Amino acid sequence: MDIALIIGAFFAATLVCILVKHRGVTEYVSFFASIVACGTSIVIAMTVATAGAYTPFQFFSIDALGAIALLIISTVGCAVVFYSIHYLREETAKQVVGVTRVRQYFILLNLFLAAMSIAVTTASPMLAWISIEATTLSTAFLISFYNKQSAMEAAWKYLIINSVGLLLAFFGTLLYFSFQQSLGEASFVSWDALRGAALHLDPSIAKIAFVFVLIGYGTKVGLFPMHTWLPDAHSNAPAPISALLSGVLLNVALVSVLRFKLITDVAVGHVFSDRLLMFFGLLSICIAVLIIFTQKNYKRLLAYSSIENMGIMALGFGFGGIGAFAAMLHMLYHALVKSALFLSSGTIFLKYHSTKIADVKGAIAALPVTSIIFLTGFFAITGMPPLGIFFTKILVLSSGITTHPIVTIIALLCMAVLFVGFFKQVTAMMFGEKSAEIKNGEINALLIISPLVLILLVVYLSFSMPSFLLTLMHTVANQY
Amino acid sequence: MESIAHQFLPAIIFLTAIFFHTTKKNIDIAMAYGVQSLAVVLILFSASFATHSLPSLFIALLVFAIKVIAAPRFFVALIKKHGLRFSATTYLNFPLTLIIIAILTALAHSKIFLPLTTLTSDTEALSLALAVIFSSLFLMINRKGALSQMIGVLSLENGIVTFALFSGLEQSATLQTGILFDIAIWIVIATVFASMIYEHFGSLNVTIMRNLKE
Repeated sequence: MDIALIIGAFFAATLVCILVKHRGVTEYVSFFASIVACGTSIVIAMTVATAGAYTPFQFFSIDALGAIALLIISTVGCAVVFYSIHYLREETAKQVVGVTRVRQYFILLNLFLAAMSIAVTTASPMLAWISIEATTLSTAFLISFYNKQSAMEAAWKYLIINSVGLLLAFFGTLLYFSFQQSLGEASFVSWDALRGAALHLDPSIAKIAFVFVLIGYGTKVGLFPMHTWLPDAHSNAPAPISALLSGVLLNVALVSVLRFKLITDVAVGHVFSDRLLMFFGLLSICIAVLIIFTQKNYKRLLAYSSIENMGIMALGFGFGGIGAFAAMLHMLYHALVKSALFLSSGTIFLKYHSTKIADVKGAIAALPVTSIIFLTGFFAITGMPPLGIFFTKILVLSSGITTHPIVTIIALLCMAVLFVGFFKQVTAMMFGEKSAEIKNGEINALLIISPLVLILLVVYLSFSMPSFLLTLMHTVANQY
Repeated sequence: MESIAHQFLPAIIFLTAIFFHTTKKNIDIAMAYGVQSLAVVLILFSASFATHSLPSLFIALLVFAIKVIAAPRFFVALIKKHGLRFSATTYLNFPLTLIIIAILTALAHSKIFLPLTTLTSDTEALSLALAVIFSSLFLMINRKGALSQMIGVLSLENGIVTFALFSGLEQSATLQTGILFDIAIWIVIATVFASMIYEHFGSLNVTIMRNLKE
């Protein structure tokens, strides 16, 4: 019933946004739906932590991984919806967007949140694929929201690259059904059923299938070399959408990869999938480092940081054991921090009217609170102690140092270099002499709330992790 | 009927995938996609008659409505609206394009993909379906036109569906309806985007989109 409440709330909000033209109604209904989803997902997470995975309906099954992902979707979703309301009001006041566009925005945003919620909680690999494809369709128009040439280009690139990626994932998913006969005549095949019968899967087919799934969903995760859509889409979408794309959507796709990894491991052993994850993870970290130094756009900078962080997660799951536990923690921290950073970047954009690093000077004076949030986010995301990502990075690296020393050392060096590159760009934005046209002071106090709450949550979770979350993390990590 | 489906129709699907590479006229590409989809529909009809399955018949009708009727109409409307008579050029010249297609077809028939092509006794049909998948991926890489890229994505999907049908990996009617719903929405969205791209850039040649070059 609880998962129905979440999905139902998002769909109901979508319907209201379609039917009611009053702006305030669309805003508050969307926010109310996100609050309902957030509260319910906490209840679900606690239930799964205490009673284990459960199946509320035939098509849905919520395990520890799904519960964590759902928690991330709803928490970040709630912050993003609240921020969007005030962000779009500012943009409407500046006549950047009209009221009709705002309504379209909330329709697509609610659909996007619903699709992601279904993707991580469905019991069916095929339904998960359909939902992830639906996220592509619902976000394409959000990326082209500003209707500029660059936004159009980014959206087209996003649509084509992700569609191809997802079709390859679809093909890989179908190949896992090649041992369907052993499952009997059931027309509905769940993740558990696939895993249960994975021993009957031809190992060579399992390997080919996993390669297709990893390349396919890996495109959505943003792993190198399938990442090319990501910086363009993230930098052209409205800031709250970038926050959702980076903080949540990448994780949703990763969840599917991880579920297929478990099935593949049963069929061919874990070494094959581990090596592939390590390979793509390390490549993603390296490419992010190479590009981050030359970045001229702060939203692209954050996007490349996401590629690096998804690479770290892939590396952690590839290492397995404590690395997998660290990767799960990293997923949580990264989602919260990156969303806070993107939301802060939205406020910076509103102030400076530019996403170019060169155009943003003296942000600490112009936007003191937003800048402090941005700086805290920067320190958190680059792994500065004592914040959580420092420990997750250390844990990932320590889990790999004995078994894969060369990979670990390269990753460590890349992380250190990345910090320097990121630091150089962020200090250029925060300090220096700002233009006289830029007035000091925050644009709107309400724009601070969402990123501030997310950052405070990261700080809190860095020092005190609730027991139900720890239980869920351990449950997931024990499988990898 | 079944032997026709197993021998003739996969060849039609494969030939249309090759035709996408060779033709220069957008209208021909759009119509060829309709023909390719019709071949897929006929395979679905054949399968539904063989199994006396009503849900399969429903899916076949749905595929017919979306891919054979609606999609080509959308594309033709787009072509007529913007006067896009000829498709954008390719990155590789014609002989080189044919050589790559030949290599990809050979790859689909090679030992590398033997585990996939021997899933059922329809080895030739499965190899042809794989060749369609590879050829469609190549179409998207080689062609500079947005419309060709769209057809490439849809042809890739047709290749996967053909592979699923001949390897016995087709899904339940409920899930197939969901997949078809996604495809239908995709066609609408991609067509709208193509139209918007034309309005912004004055062409559907994707190489003119250079705003995001770093």
